[in-house]
Amino acid sequence: MPRPYALLNRIKPHPSSFIPKPMSTYVAVDQIEKVFPLSGGGSYVALKGIDLQIKKGEFISLIGHSGCGKSTLLNMIAGLDLPTEGIVTLEGKLVKRPGPDRMVVFQNYSLLPWMSVRENIALAVDEVLAALSKQERREIIEHHIQMVGLQHAADKPPGQLSGGMKQRVAIARALATRPKLLLLDEPFGALDALTRGNLQEQLMKICEENEATAVMVTHDVDEAVLLSDRIVMLTNGPASKVGGILDVDIPRPRKRMDVVSHPSYYSLRSELIYFLNQQKRIKKLRAKKTTAIARHGLEKVNLELGFVPLTACAPIAVAKEKGFFAKHGLDEVSLVRETSWRGVVDGIAGGYLDAAQMPAGMPVWLTAGGYQDQSMPMVSALTMTRNGNAVTLARKFYEQGVYNAADFKRLILETPGQRHTLGMVHPSSMHNLLLRYWLAAGGIDPDHDVSLTTIPPAQMVADLKAGTIDGYCVGEPWNLRAAIEGIGFTVATDLEIWLGHPGKVLGVREDWAIAYPNTHIALIKALLEACQYCADEANHQEIQQILSAKAYVGTSVDYIKLGDPNTQTCSLEQPMREYAHHLFYGEGVNRPSRTEHLWMMTQMARWGDIPFPRNWLEILERVCRVGAFSTAARELGMLDIKYHRGPIELFDGVKFDAEDPITYLNALSIKRDFSVAEVMLDARRAAA
Amino acid sequence: MVANPGTRSTGSNVAGFARTFWKKQGQNIMLPLIGVFVFLLIWQLLSSTGITRLPGPISLVTEQRTRELLLYPFYDLGGLDKGLFWQTMYSLARVAKGYTAAAVVGIGLGILVGTNQTINKAVDPIFQFLRMIAPLAWVPISLIALQNVQQAAVFVIFITAVWPILINTTVGVQQIPQDYKNVARVLQISPRKYFFKVLIPSALPYIFTGLRIAIGLAWLAIIAAEIVMSGVIGIGFFIWNAYQNNYVSEVILAVFYIGAVGLLLDRAMAYLQQLILPEEQR
Repeated sequence: MPRPYALLNRIKPHPSSFIPKPMSTYVAVDQIEKVFPLSGGGSYVALKGIDLQIKKGEFISLIGHSGCGKSTLLNMIAGLDLPTEGIVTLEGKLVKRPGPDRMVVFQNYSLLPWMSVRENIALAVDEVLAALSKQERREIIEHHIQMVGLQHAADKPPGQLSGGMKQRVAIARALATRPKLLLLDEPFGALDALTRGNLQEQLMKICEENEATAVMVTHDVDEAVLLSDRIVMLTNGPASKVGGILDVDIPRPRKRMDVVSHPSYYSLRSELIYFLNQQKRIKKLRAKKTTAIARHGLEKVNLELGFVPLTACAPIAVAKEKGFFAKHGLDEVSLVRETSWRGVVDGIAGGYLDAAQMPAGMPVWLTAGGYQDQSMPMVSALTMTRNGNAVTLARKFYEQGVYNAADFKRLILETPGQRHTLGMVHPSSMHNLLLRYWLAAGGIDPDHDVSLTTIPPAQMVADLKAGTIDGYCVGEPWNLRAAIEGIGFTVATDLEIWLGHPGKVLGVREDWAIAYPNTHIALIKALLEACQYCADEANHQEIQQILSAKAYVGTSVDYIKLGDPNTQTCSLEQPMREYAHHLFYGEGVNRPSRTEHLWMMTQMARWGDIPFPRNWLEILERVCRVGAFSTAARELGMLDIKYHRGPIELFDGVKFDAEDPITYLNALSIKRDFSVAEVMLDARRAAA
Repeated sequence: MVANPGTRSTGSNVAGFARTFWKKQGQNIMLPLIGVFVFLLIWQLLSSTGITRLPGPISLVTEQRTRELLLYPFYDLGGLDKGLFWQTMYSLARVAKGYTAAAVVGIGLGILVGTNQTINKAVDPIFQFLRMIAPLAWVPISLIALQNVQQAAVFVIFITAVWPILINTTVGVQQIPQDYKNVARVLQISPRKYFFKVLIPSALPYIFTGLRIAIGLAWLAIIAAEIVMSGVIGIGFFIWNAYQNNYVSEVILAVFYIGAVGLLLDRAMAYLQQLILPEEQR
């Protein structure tokens, strides 16, 4: 089965969907909890509910911030420390005490300084392999000294060796006892970069030759990707748990240079870095412990507002810079710049963002259980932008005569061996839905004929340039930038797909909207006024200046176009098409539309991201809060913006019937096997 | 005459070696010598001007009794009338007995206490209490307990020297790095091997520190003990005897002996420490 979102699927939710296979499991860590008593009388829960299955011959890395308990976990596998709850088994046998079958390589080498290198290794070999003859043991010792290339230093005491050499001795000592499981506790942490690199390659080679099963604790992202088959990411303590497990699908034997150029390398790396950064932020948030500051008749004026650097973030930037937030009493709004939509999702789910700019489909997606299969009711009461998106393809396609979806299909049929990868920003974003719709309308199955991958918006151009993707659908300025730099061309804009489609919306959690109703209205008012400001052509130059700053999009002013950009830049040679610029304000622009949310819901169900909710009416009613918008608009005196939209019809002429979405779904020819299911929402609390 | 290049080059080598040696060590030798000389000079000046009644250092040579003692350290006329060398040797022999006993008991008990937290908790207050009792306070107790001057003297040495050895050994065993213990646990090393290959080598620096402190204390204690226990041969009683007879320069001479022996003992321990311990642990 093809995986539409390779990267998202690589993270296995934990532990619900992880079913252990007893036959292939070599080491099993089962529901481990570790509690340390504190000197003050209390206790500290270091680890909680850790589950991990390790297969024979696997190389596992444990990664996380310092103090997350990764070394504690390793020690419990080693038996040096016992879990408070839960068990560790090796080949089905309970681990109760340390033993030579689980040999540990310690971070600080732990060589005995009064013995020579040979004596250190001999101490282990003579003790563990006592059953062998003296001659055989001697051979094993010499063999392992040779294996790590330390013949010349065999008779020296460790004090005369460099750090790298000492660690080589420690590795040789560990392997010489022929352990079933090799446990490495930040083995290269104290070494310089060059030595570390060499030792990593040596360790990798040794492990591959000996088919060693290994668990390594590290905080080095590159090291983890290079060495591991799977990377276990631990969240921050207290009560650390497995935040996710990454499969490293880079083939072995690996060479550093090959690994770095492997297509998965950067996505894995950025996944790990994202995870670690996220953990750091959560820690900061915990330390801050924000309490709601009520003022000016509002329940909460200190808001954390998430956004992703795009031209479409203009209303948020303007509301902050031009004082619209403050004007409506929200005088402690701080903007949180997320690099990807995932960051927004995690921020909203983790409760450290009050509200966020979201792709239009995200509120429904979250409500219908798109995130970790759990419904998180959201509210959207303002559409902030429309349009501003386009599909960009790499320049090579233009040179091969690809000017539309039909041409693209022809090219795909002509080159069956080639797999084309297209980037989009989030499963629930309009870009994904529009790109898929555009491809499917052209007869291209977006999962079978091409592959789609999730990449943060700002990274698209770099990936296109590097050739790791062949095209993308993303909001401005990134299409324009590819065109200006001459690496790609705009093959379809909103004009050709759906003119005036919703782009970004304001999203908050439903429980937040219920807890802070007046704040919610004030926020809508501030942003709506900012939208109006953005729509005024007289302000465009100023807004461009604001957006180009590092705190926002952080790109040259030339790439940020609010009105009609020079059409020349969108094509490579001749003016190809007109361009649909962002709509920030106007009739029917900002008012949330249930029909549109329903259309997005059907599309997400069409591609299997969410089941189609049987209670879709209830979901629409709860997500799409026209009432809150109307209140805000009325209080601003903007009585003229009303709802006028008719049925939705896209470029292919297929009408969308908002009365009967399931019939519509069934009528589509290219789709996944979608399911219809009841989405259980929390019982609604007191009416907002 | 035919010049012999070999000899000449050897000669110049020796001279060259002396030169480089002097360059490196000259300051280390010269400065202490100057220090000692200035000290003696001031002392001599003080006594010759009459500020103090203490005879100056020159009196050691000018006075006949001390000159004889100085020139004939090895004479032995039987009884208490022996040369200073023999006096010192008797004292040293006593120290050797007491100190050896202290080392055996101190290291053994220290390892036991260091490895067993329960015992440590039980006996630590007793040790800390006994440790605070001055060597001289032990003299009457040991005399009453043992009824024998010779044994009592050895016991005073023992009881003085045992504490630093015991306490340092205990700490040394307690301070064995967790890493070494973990290695031993993972390898499931037998207790006997653990004792000889991990515990002792790891605690050795601490044990040596204890031994070095103890040797100094033992030497201090023997003098004090001998002064009190009249009628024993030893440098301590020699001083007491000389004082009773008002041979002040004899006292000074004996004091020089005591200081020199103490210095030698300490240096000897330091040398031993350097000889046995690997570089990384010093």
